[in-house]
Amino acid sequence: MKNIKIEVKDLSLYYGEKKALKEISLEIPRNKVTALIGPSGCGKSTFLRCINRMNDLIPDVKITGQMLVEGIDIYDKNVDVVNIRKKIGMVFQKSNPFPKSIYENIAYGPKINGIKAKNELDEIVETSLRQAAIWDEVKDRLGDSAMGLSGGQQQRLCIARTLAVSPDIILMDEPASALDPISTSKIEELVHELKEQYTIIIVTHNMQQAARTSDYTAFFYLGELIEIGKTNAIFTKPEQKQTEDYITGRFG
Amino acid sequence: MTHFEIELERLKSVIIKIGNLAETQVSESVKALLSEPIEGKEVKKTESKIDKLDVKIDEICQSIFALQQPVASDLRFIMASMQISNEIERIGDLAVSVIKRSKNIKDKHDLIAKFEIADLAKQVELITIKTNECFLKRDEATIGEVFVLNNTIKKKGDDAIDGIIGEMKSHSKVVVSGTNLVIVLKHLERISEHCTNIAEYVHFMVNAKIIKHDKHEDLNL
Repeated sequence: MKNIKIEVKDLSLYYGEKKALKEISLEIPRNKVTALIGPSGCGKSTFLRCINRMNDLIPDVKITGQMLVEGIDIYDKNVDVVNIRKKIGMVFQKSNPFPKSIYENIAYGPKINGIKAKNELDEIVETSLRQAAIWDEVKDRLGDSAMGLSGGQQQRLCIARTLAVSPDIILMDEPASALDPISTSKIEELVHELKEQYTIIIVTHNMQQAARTSDYTAFFYLGELIEIGKTNAIFTKPEQKQTEDYITGRFG
Repeated sequence: MTHFEIELERLKSVIIKIGNLAETQVSESVKALLSEPIEGKEVKKTESKIDKLDVKIDEICQSIFALQQPVASDLRFIMASMQISNEIERIGDLAVSVIKRSKNIKDKHDLIAKFEIADLAKQVELITIKTNECFLKRDEATIGEVFVLNNTIKKKGDDAIDGIIGEMKSHSKVVVSGTNLVIVLKHLERISEHCTNIAEYVHFMVNAKIIKHDKHEDLNL
């Protein structure tokens, strides 16, 4: 049996009358990186936000089908949304640290979750910053404002903040699109290391980034899942002509 | 057409050009073997053109890799192009060797007639034409024709070589021309093998399957 973390069955999403996702069915394997690619408006970010019920916050959104995380449908009435978001962290395109110290940014989540002991918080802060490969750069200035960090450092801080609440799954929505090549490379390397412990789903417009960082790639177009497969296969011999046309830049 | 597609077209046209030049060289080598000595100047000129195009292909491929990061069918086309150009350059060199050696084979016509070498040489000429055709058409039927021709050439070549060796054993006066002819036959067989390699790369371009160590009979072409 395959080691599946998330199973999506016939998932459709409507913004009012408009059907933005059309009967998506796919499986996302555990401890792997799955990249979602496709042109703007294809539904990949909408799909990503379905995985931690972020779309619940948008009025007029209706979702049908199932999103099974570890076999449990996260859209079931009895499921606690807050718990879901604890288990499924998210990193956005634009880094969004709190206007607080570096330490407080990381400790914020664990504190809300009830952790009060200073030594325990210290440990979480250090571990999370180490995992996000930024510890060495900030260890001597944990009390400084996070707003003083560079863009690339802020994004890694946000990843550390996500890790601090011990999620199982990390969703990344174009996490490196606003960063320079060196910071991008650090984020990509980080993604590679984090998959040992987490299941990662990454939306990216950068085809080479999808190729470099992911194990599986899913191609979306006009709200439909056209193809999902091993990244190596998608970028060497995709099954569908639409996928081939998109990745080779001959779309439309 | 995008800038990238223009680059790919340019690469394709250079491959066709180098392929045609190699075809000319092989055709001249067959002529040199079967009938008359060939003007060396023209052969050298063509050889130098082939070498220049071979380098040009490497440069175009290098630039596409660095600037366009090709994937899928584009990636396979560029990978195959680099290999194909290498094979074509070798075909050109072997054809020149045949031309040079054929000039000095005395009394070759009796041996050529006795061991049906003319027919074999014509098949070698045909396989180079078919190889260029298979790159242009990218169809499996032509790839299959190249593989079949190669088998025929190998068989005929080996039979002719066996025959010539037998002849040399019994008639010492044919040893020099026989030896030269054996070397020429080996060159022709190598040309045919390079053509087969090209057909394998075209197969890779089309089907994304590496078959260079597979048995062609299992491919159902």
